[in-house]
Amino acid sequence: MVTYTVGQVAYLKIFFHAAKHPHLQVNGVLLGKKVSGTVEIVDAVPLLHHWTSLSPMMEIGLDLAGKHAESRELQLVGYYQACERLDDTALAPVGERVASKLKQDFADAVALVIDGEKIGSDNAALIPFMAQSTSSSWRPCTEAGSVTPFTPGSSFSLSSSDIPARAISLVCDQQLQRKFGDFDDHLEDVKIDWLRNSAAMPSELQR
Amino acid sequence: MAAASLPSALQSLANYRAHNTRVSQEVVEKGKLLLKAKSASKLGDDAWAFLEQLALAAIDVAKYEVADECLRLLAAKFPDSPRVDVLSGIRMEATQPPEIALKFYDELLEKDSSNAAICKRRISVLIRTGKVEQAVLELSEYLDTFYSDVEGWVELAELYSSCHQYTFATQALSHALLLAPQNPFYVLQFAETAYTADDIPLAVKMFMLCLDIVDKHTSEESIPTGVSIRAWYGVKLCCRALSGRSCSSASDTPLPKNLNLLDELATERILTAYSAAGKDNATIRELVLTWMGPSDRSGGRVHFVR
Repeated sequence: MVTYTVGQVAYLKIFFHAAKHPHLQVNGVLLGKKVSGTVEIVDAVPLLHHWTSLSPMMEIGLDLAGKHAESRELQLVGYYQACERLDDTALAPVGERVASKLKQDFADAVALVIDGEKIGSDNAALIPFMAQSTSSSWRPCTEAGSVTPFTPGSSFSLSSSDIPARAISLVCDQQLQRKFGDFDDHLEDVKIDWLRNSAAMPSELQR
Repeated sequence: MAAASLPSALQSLANYRAHNTRVSQEVVEKGKLLLKAKSASKLGDDAWAFLEQLALAAIDVAKYEVADECLRLLAAKFPDSPRVDVLSGIRMEATQPPEIALKFYDELLEKDSSNAAICKRRISVLIRTGKVEQAVLELSEYLDTFYSDVEGWVELAELYSSCHQYTFATQALSHALLLAPQNPFYVLQFAETAYTADDIPLAVKMFMLCLDIVDKHTSEESIPTGVSIRAWYGVKLCCRALSGRSCSSASDTPLPKNLNLLDELATERILTAYSAAGKDNATIRELVLTWMGPSDRSGGRVHFVR
């Protein structure tokens, strides 16, 4: 059984992206690598918030993010998405397609959807989706013994349990999400470093 | 807040209004101070537009007591105003179940069926509750009556796109283009929708039309900025998609001549944008360069339709 860990940088970037555009759908890709049965998700690259149902900029963004991952000896290991409505936690059809494409290159690809109901809590606000082996559709991950993902015994975990609380405080107290930019922002102003987003990271995580 | 910074706060609030920027957190931060300073009364006629803006922003970030205060002032000044009705409806949507808001809108429409803003609120509630089919139906009906509502057509296009009906989406957008032929954003959206619908020749044509509109006021040597960077990326992507494969166009759009030259121009324009952005951008420029290189065709298309 493959297990997944979500690191601090990856979680913060997903969280900031969603917090910057609370009324829009946002999406991006997850960077990481597989080490002896564990997929370590260490970083994320935010892609779109404008026209999430249209493909041209998604294709370019995916290509560039893939090259960026390669240069850091990482792979694209998954996709993430936040919906515009709090109660909507479905992986959009576009997300299924992108995630399926990533799965061609990385067999253990996962899709994470932001859980709007949990985003204000100290728990991981992520719902993992996995591909169904029989079809091209993706379903919320069901685990043995119906364990909730990101709780003890689950194959999903955070690299440290205090990350969600930290993310909330960075958004509420320091408004770091305002310094955060995705590929859509980069296309308006190429100075915005959507691949690294160092400026939006707390100081000890800046590279 | 010092008195001296009030004018600057007012200025940026007016600016947000003019550009229709949704930065609710900032609006509430600035607006609350103005409300407290009781300077709303000194704003003259602008005061009411400001109160409406603050109410909307406050609802957006769940500061309902601020919103209610604005609504109270507006309702006292404009009793029975359809515009205040819309605001009351939005306030209702924020904390009440959608059925209650829909009922409120239905009652208003019974009184006056030509109230465009209320029609649109009704449709937006339908979208929010996931009734996209019903929303498309009502929006199409609405546009039969209010044909000149550009934003309505754009919204219809987005609804179609979200259901993978990209050809319908381009049809809706073509009405927006008829109504606002000089708006580069609608042209850009049309181009990206056409690309997604797999009509690449049409997409190239529209990306170039977008550049034509934007570049009208700039010289040829200028550095691409804003929307034109995105459009050049689009041209580049289309050229890549067209090279080495035959290509059909549902709209029978002919391919541009000199595709190779167009490809080279797009490369040059994009790289110029990165070079102008300074040294900090060197690594991203490198990355983009490898993506655009002639030998690289690694990226496959993500088919959104099939």
